[in-house]
Amino acid sequence: MMSPNLWSALAAARHCVAGCSAKEEVWRKGKLRLYRYRSIAKPAATPPLLIVYALVNRPYMMDLQEDRSLIRGLLTQGLDVYLIDWGYPDGADRFTTLSDYIEDQLGGAVQTILQDQGLDALNLLGVCQGGVFSLCYAALHPEHVRNLVTMVTPVDFHTRADLLSKWVRKIDVEAWVANGNVSGDTLNQLFLSLMPFRLTQQKYLELLRGEADAPRIENFMRVEQWIFDSPDQAGAAFREFVVWMYQENRLARNCLKLAGRAVDLAPLKLPILNLIGKRDHLVPPASSAALQRLVGSRDFTTLELDLGHIGMYVSARAQREVPPAIAAWLAAR
Amino acid sequence: MDDLWRQWQAFAQLATPRAPGAAGAPAGFATFEDAAERFAAATRSFRDGMAAGASAASAAAAAETFSNFLRDQYADFFKMPWASAPGWAQAQGWSQAHGAGAGPGTAAFELPALGLTREHQERMQRAAHALRDMDEAQRRLQRLWSDTLREAASAYVSRLGSPAGAPLTPEATYKLYDTWIDCAEEAYARTAHSEAFCDALADYVNAGSRLRRESSAGAEVWAKLLDLPTRHEVNTLAERLRVLEEQVRARPATGAGEHAAGPERTPISERAPVSERAAGRERGPRPRARRPPKGKP
Repeated sequence: MMSPNLWSALAAARHCVAGCSAKEEVWRKGKLRLYRYRSIAKPAATPPLLIVYALVNRPYMMDLQEDRSLIRGLLTQGLDVYLIDWGYPDGADRFTTLSDYIEDQLGGAVQTILQDQGLDALNLLGVCQGGVFSLCYAALHPEHVRNLVTMVTPVDFHTRADLLSKWVRKIDVEAWVANGNVSGDTLNQLFLSLMPFRLTQQKYLELLRGEADAPRIENFMRVEQWIFDSPDQAGAAFREFVVWMYQENRLARNCLKLAGRAVDLAPLKLPILNLIGKRDHLVPPASSAALQRLVGSRDFTTLELDLGHIGMYVSARAQREVPPAIAAWLAAR
Repeated sequence: MDDLWRQWQAFAQLATPRAPGAAGAPAGFATFEDAAERFAAATRSFRDGMAAGASAASAAAAAETFSNFLRDQYADFFKMPWASAPGWAQAQGWSQAHGAGAGPGTAAFELPALGLTREHQERMQRAAHALRDMDEAQRRLQRLWSDTLREAASAYVSRLGSPAGAPLTPEATYKLYDTWIDCAEEAYARTAHSEAFCDALADYVNAGSRLRRESSAGAEVWAKLLDLPTRHEVNTLAERLRVLEEQVRARPATGAGEHAAGPERTPISERAPVSERAAGRERGPRPRARRPPKGKP
């Protein structure tokens, strides 16, 4: 039986919101917002770091709460952090393509930062699908990227453990998307179906069997909010991503083109730090690890952590290890 | 009654939660508590049935009962929520009665469409076939799910073996529950990676896409009759706008007033309302306080 204390703690946590670090909007285009975080430590002598998050969830997971914030960890290390918020696509965005996202929007954000800071190149940190975008951008514009950090980023979409890839390979994506957007609820249903027993029941029972401890419950509620705060996906970009990546594996097969230009990873010589979650159920470690054999970079560092996909940026262990590792790696370059 | 549907309903109730003990519907998490209590009760029965001294027959019966309980708990995962909605059964019955599920050449939806409404008849035939295909794929998914649950329950009962006679504390029950979840996820993973599952899932989604396409087409017919804008018309306008935007972007800069390069600035019309900016939540383009440029160390 749920105790009144637990009930009260849950009720109190209903309205807790994610996000803890001060930031200001520095540029916008359409629904995209580019934020710059206010520094909280002595600036490190490195170019600014632009975080490119995925389209499928909201980027505030990078800055969930004070003790669970990758961004705060990076700020503590003195990094100058920018973040792209892609916004919530609606019906008017249904024809937005991957090229629009990568060349126009990501590219525009990079140009804004470079112009403002009088630089030629910055550091990119791509997370999950944002890592794919960052790789594509770096391949197309290597002169603007000094160092690239990829975090839980799928590269080879046809590894044996990739359940999502197996599921979508026989789906008629053209018909599925038609000319519309794909709802965030649909994607959530898909993600929950990857581990239905754990994700639809066990985690809630775990919540109930713990103490009525406000920080624990607020943390749970913030993650819960993030999981189900899923933007719809712009139809054209979604179709391209699923067909080109999941079905045809173009990135790993080196046959991806964006707006007529080949996205060739082989000539990519810049330093790369590849962060992999050993227990990632969404992006199998082998999928991320494939990056090393595809790029031409000799300065390639792989950091495998015994974490899951989400744990990579919100777990206590990640807070301790990931920001210092990124900062040290960048500082050395 | 499937737990997941109840859980969904329970979550929906969270929108208007009530304090424990208040009159009316149970609080939102009651369904999880209920599931946990049923699990604990079934586990106790199983342990009693398997206790030392029990006959082989009673132990087997206890294992079977427990196994059936576990399967029942999750039996309807792939039964879609709308399957229990009013009208769904009638829709399926209608589809089957008109031939989408019957033998060839015997029913209305298998006959060639004729006459003035021929196009509309064909659209309805395609929708009926899609509905039939969805139903068939969903049954295949449900069968695979049922097999998975049987395998999971069997693995779980084997893993428990002959439970010791120690008292079943809440903590011990939780551990048993976690073991069950492990068994279930392992069995599900094997199924979910199989060709049969991938095929059934793809068939379900593909049939659903066809049904939606035909339904949308039907809605467009009505929209035209009522002189309402249709999705096709809106899409056409969006495409035209997109082409125009691309042409503007591709136009070479010719005057001092045009940006030859660099990102666009936020147009006034897209800036956040002053009230939002004042509130500090959504600021417009910042007054650029330049930092000194940073170079490579």
